[in-house]
Amino acid sequence: MKTFEEEWTAWVDGQLSGPELSEFEASLPDKAAAEAEKTGALKLGELLKRELSARTLTNEEFFSHQLRESVARLRETPAGQARERRSIWWTIPRLLWTGGASLAVFLVFTVLVMHEKNPAEESQYLTQILNARVDPVVSPNATVSIFEVKQDRVTVLWTEGLQSLPADYAAK
Amino acid sequence: MQTEATLAHADVSELDLVRRCQAGDTEAFDELVTRYRTRVFSMIYNMVHSEQDAWDLAQDSFLKAWKSIKRFRGRSSFYTWIYRIVINVTIDWLRKKHVKGAGTEFDDAIQLREVDPASKTVPKTEALPYETMERGEIRVRIDQAIAQLSPEQRAVILMKEIEGMQYHEIAEALGCSIGTVMSRLFYARKKLQNLLRDVYENI
Repeated sequence: MKTFEEEWTAWVDGQLSGPELSEFEASLPDKAAAEAEKTGALKLGELLKRELSARTLTNEEFFSHQLRESVARLRETPAGQARERRSIWWTIPRLLWTGGASLAVFLVFTVLVMHEKNPAEESQYLTQILNARVDPVVSPNATVSIFEVKQDRVTVLWTEGLQSLPADYAAK
Repeated sequence: MQTEATLAHADVSELDLVRRCQAGDTEAFDELVTRYRTRVFSMIYNMVHSEQDAWDLAQDSFLKAWKSIKRFRGRSSFYTWIYRIVINVTIDWLRKKHVKGAGTEFDDAIQLREVDPASKTVPKTEALPYETMERGEIRVRIDQAIAQLSPEQRAVILMKEIEGMQYHEIAEALGCSIGTVMSRLFYARKKLQNLLRDVYENI
């Protein structure tokens, strides 16, 4: 929604057309006075252009010479040189690219390392190999495993390679 | 009048100059200064009404442009970009003068007395021909009327009426919305019409 000031300015500059123009002109309480104001604004513009456009810069060459010297002085200062170096190597897009690339490399490595460390998919059995209680002299190839079915709360003791059952394995 | 081909050629050349400036070529920058120095000076002069201050501000503006030329990405024309710097420099200066001088900064006579002898101005012992020229009553009336506008209103009316810039170009140069530009233009015109009605009605 344009304000009255915006519509008026657009009207004076001939920027209104079609229904917008007719709506605005219909909303003017005194169209003759508004037209007079518009003509005045256009005359004002012509006056300003005629009177103020004529301003010229005297000593143009000296102006450029002075500026050349200022630029040369600026380039000679350590701060100016540092600014140039910084602006060459550490522009904002360059920083963004560097940051983005570092983040991407970090993520790739993180995913790879985590992937390797992740255990295999968990079985429904929890398996535990018990070697501590098997006497290697008596049963050198013996292994003892416990399988636990979590859902059914059942634990199975599985032994292999036993040549004799240890006394403390006896069921009570 | 420039044809489209000429305009396209001018644009390409200007962009080429900017690219060379960004690579540190001071000769290319000198060429850009040559193209815009008169318009920039004239714009500032019409805002501050003092040749010496306008000279210094134009120098500052171009120096700032050189310092930040690497940040110019070509999204707008170089012309709009340099105007943004010019307007910021000039408005800042006007605001500072207003605070320090309690409203006397727009008085031409006082301005000339207050010029710092050590400022970066044209070395001269006598008044420039520009100053010694007899200024017509109309010019004085216009300067006095513009001096009653706020810095932002001055910038808007000068860019519109003298430079012939479009609303969106002015908005870009001032860093404000098109609506704000139109509103400032409305009030600037109203004020100048009230102050200069007898001048433009009798020409």
